[in-house]
Amino acid sequence: MKSKSLPPNFSRSETSRLSRRAFLRSTARAGAVLALPQILPAAVLGRAGAVPPSERIVMGGIGIGGRGSYVLSVFLQEPDVQVVAIADVQAARRQAAKQRVDARYGNSDCATYRDLRELLARPDIDAVLIATGPNWHAVASTLAAEAGKDVYCEKPCTKNIAESLALAETFRRTARVFQAGTQRRSLPNFAFAVELARTGRLGKLHTVHAQPLGLKTVMSGWYPAEPPPPVEEVDWDLYLGPAAWRPFNRKLLSAFHFEKGGGFVGALGGGGVLEWGSHCVDLCQWAADADHTAPVEYEPAGNRLHARYASGVKLVMRDDGWLPLGSCPVRFEGETGWVETADNGDIEASSPDLLVGRGAKIGGYPADFHVRNFLDCVKTRGQPRANAEVACWSHIACHAANIALLLGRKLRYDPVKNEFPGDAEANRLRGEALREPWRV
Amino acid sequence: MKTFPAFLYRVALGLTLLGGAPNLRLLPAAELPPERALIAVLQSPADPADKALACRQLAIRGTRNAVPVLAPLLADTNLASWARIALEAIPDPAADAALREAAGKLQGRLLVGVLNSLGRRRDPQGVPVLTARLRDADPEVAGAAAVALGHIGNEAAAAALKARLADAPEALDAALGEGCVRAADQLRAAGRTAAALELYEAARAARLPLQQRLEATRGAILARQADGLPLLLEQLRAEDKPAFALGLRVARELPCVAVTEGLIRALDQLPPARQPLLLRALADRPDAAVLPAVLQAARVGAPELRRTAVELLEHCGDATCVPVLLEAATAADRDLARTARTSLARLRAAGVDAALTDQLDRARGAQRAVLLELCGQRRITSALPMVEPALQDPDPAVRRAALQAVSVLGGEAQVTELARLYMETRDEARRAELEGALLEVSGRVGARVVARLLPLVRHTEPAVRITGVHALAGVGGAQALEAVVAATRDPVEAVQDEAVRALSTWPNNWPEDVAVAEPLLTLMKSGAKRAHQVLGFRGYLQYLQADKRLDDPARVERIRELLPRLQWPEEKQAAISALGALRTAAALDLLQTLAPDAAVTEEVWSALVNLVGRDLPGVSPERRREVLREVISRTRNESLRRRAQQALEAIR
Repeated sequence: MKSKSLPPNFSRSETSRLSRRAFLRSTARAGAVLALPQILPAAVLGRAGAVPPSERIVMGGIGIGGRGSYVLSVFLQEPDVQVVAIADVQAARRQAAKQRVDARYGNSDCATYRDLRELLARPDIDAVLIATGPNWHAVASTLAAEAGKDVYCEKPCTKNIAESLALAETFRRTARVFQAGTQRRSLPNFAFAVELARTGRLGKLHTVHAQPLGLKTVMSGWYPAEPPPPVEEVDWDLYLGPAAWRPFNRKLLSAFHFEKGGGFVGALGGGGVLEWGSHCVDLCQWAADADHTAPVEYEPAGNRLHARYASGVKLVMRDDGWLPLGSCPVRFEGETGWVETADNGDIEASSPDLLVGRGAKIGGYPADFHVRNFLDCVKTRGQPRANAEVACWSHIACHAANIALLLGRKLRYDPVKNEFPGDAEANRLRGEALREPWRV
Repeated sequence: MKTFPAFLYRVALGLTLLGGAPNLRLLPAAELPPERALIAVLQSPADPADKALACRQLAIRGTRNAVPVLAPLLADTNLASWARIALEAIPDPAADAALREAAGKLQGRLLVGVLNSLGRRRDPQGVPVLTARLRDADPEVAGAAAVALGHIGNEAAAAALKARLADAPEALDAALGEGCVRAADQLRAAGRTAAALELYEAARAARLPLQQRLEATRGAILARQADGLPLLLEQLRAEDKPAFALGLRVARELPCVAVTEGLIRALDQLPPARQPLLLRALADRPDAAVLPAVLQAARVGAPELRRTAVELLEHCGDATCVPVLLEAATAADRDLARTARTSLARLRAAGVDAALTDQLDRARGAQRAVLLELCGQRRITSALPMVEPALQDPDPAVRRAALQAVSVLGGEAQVTELARLYMETRDEARRAELEGALLEVSGRVGARVVARLLPLVRHTEPAVRITGVHALAGVGGAQALEAVVAATRDPVEAVQDEAVRALSTWPNNWPEDVAVAEPLLTLMKSGAKRAHQVLGFRGYLQYLQADKRLDDPARVERIRELLPRLQWPEEKQAAISALGALRTAAALDLLQTLAPDAAVTEEVWSALVNLVGRDLPGVSPERRREVLREVISRTRNESLRRRAQQALEAIR
């Protein structure tokens, strides 16, 4: 008996090729590829071809766990980068990262350090990747800048408003290059949507929407003391770093959740405004032409938070009502149109005409373009897309939202004086003392 | 002072238990305990965790009353950091006094913490104790004092820091340099330029680490404003890379047109490798003087400088740059040409579109092709009357560029023209290009263009009729549907096949496309070929899932009606899969009747697990359990069995 399978020329994919929806998308991509905002790096900066050792950017990695391993691998792909050292307070992570670096270069030269200060003291290192837990980000970035290093730092970059301002001030004063690990700033679909908003193609912009996930604040935990491991295995004092003291407990060793986002969102809450907001609120800041300011009002409203910029543009943080485009969605609405995009790389808009020239789809939020932008700026001394100033304000927007959630009421914020006018309670939550000896 | 039993502390603080461990949970502010209760916790023998949380909450609730209770904790190795969280936040001067007092008593790291807090609070009364600590034997303490003085940044702090530059030990250099620059930056921001400059220059002259000297140099340039140009140029001309790098950064920061002009004059004097980097810095300056310099480099610069200039014009250029960019866009240097085209496509300034279209009639050859491409890329709709004639230009490159532009810009009228050209041409490659443009324009414009496409499906040549079917499928609507249904009866089999394919993916615009249901059912029942029947069935299933007028029970009923006609396992599997997604008891009933068919049994089991694995309206938990037990006992798929088992355990 003959197979009853369908004839190959009637396969599902074949019959789907004329779907009008896909057709319109292909139409939108055709023709005007070059109109895409510039994301791809400039080849003139010496990336192409072999790079002599004297022209390479010598780098170190600090705090290389899960996310750090990915970003480190992106740096390792770049021909004008030479990673020479790893610092981590956990021995297993130090060794795993070293092996990754050594495997890339076919030697065993990568040095390891328990204390990041030893790595930062090396004069041959030009730049560092900081991928510790969020607890360390601002302090480690400050130490690196003071040591004359340029910094690519994972997000969230700060724990509160005061740290955000300090980060921006430090990188101004030291003239070092800083790039926050908010790689969606360097992805074509987000850049395209932002350009629609910023160039008036949606009409006058009135609302930007972000999905920070988990509009709640919870402080990191304190667990019963356990016998600490040998300091060479886990240096608990260095792990705690700037976080207020608590006894060793292995449950707190997930740096990803420890002292995250405002110092309030932690082991038991996860997420919080900072975790995703440092991406999606940051994109809204960009779309609203608010890279050097933050919303002036924040109001919790059920499962949403409404904020407003001085320009009148509204920022809505919400978890519901999104098109199925993947994680980290943003939506920008103007008087004549809207656009929405997210991590699968697709872009939906109120009119197909808006999508003409959107360029190739890149989903999965890779960090390649963002890392390249950082490396180019290390050479040119220009400001990367997610520089310290940009990161400062997008983080302040998230921290202020966190404070409004904690206080459970509407707040006003003055982005010139950097205070909540006449609100002593909210003002006290702008910063938090760091454990000795650390400072920003 | 009243004390509370331990369990009451937890109640008062709102502590919750998790796995026997206190969870440090900062409550909504409205629920925070009163200051009195928090102070009581600190005065009690409570656990360190409770005291830590009390400190954190005093940061919000605390007043001067809490300071005497917090101050002793500054000497507690474990709780000092928590106490400072409160003391740094309490605005009352009593907190400053407590920190100053501790600064005179403590040693080592605890002292460092206190000095850091004095700096964060910018307590001017802290200057004397910090000045004294600048000479502490412990370099960490002295360093913390230096940075704290930098944060305070008044004249007294600056004087103390400057004095220490003369005799500081090497271990203090980095922190002392940081303190000096921080203090000088604050003086500069406060308008005390002379004092700031004095400190910057003292730091530059001192034996400080390179980074801190660079920071001082930056400050010294910025403090001088336009008069800082010579010092800036000194950095840009320095042989060492760090100074040059600093110069590139400060060249972006230092305002004033005279500075811009000075930097432009310096451009030619730099080594060729440095010129593109300075040009990039110049392009970041907002002065009008920048553009002529970049344009000049784009015209006559050395190759790398020229490429950089052409790239930069995208951001700093205007309509006057169009001729220079157009010339570069057709240059023999491919990198330069590509960069120029990119800049032209993205150049946002006013008047650029007009400058490009002005050139369109005069341009010839490669430049004309570039201009046509740009009309599309920049969406210059007003250029369509000039673009359309180029569709028949004798130069193939120009024709292709025109077609690309029409694809983006075209409307109803261009559909007619594209269809006409398509029907006229015999060149296969040309036909493929025209077909692509036709599909793009007609798909974008929509049902309004159906009448303009009908000549294609009535053409004598089958290949043209197929293209017509494709175009109509992209347009949709009742009239297009009618034409494509007619094409399923075309005398040529290939045309029939394409028409059937188009119908099978038709339902994609709601609600106007629901009419496709009947033709699909007809195809399924009486299609000319078995493959047509299968495609009709698949298309119908797709329609069923998408038609928003139907509820799930109605969809189940439609599938039930189809089942007797399904012969191939693939068809039945598709129907079963569709049923598994319909969350209604009717789908469950129907699926269970299909299980005995050995050809699809496993698919039925899988769909059943999907269906009853979570709550199903109108179906009791007991029935869900029965279904899952049956799957567990009868499936041969281990993975599915595990999934069913997990689903069974999850039903409460």
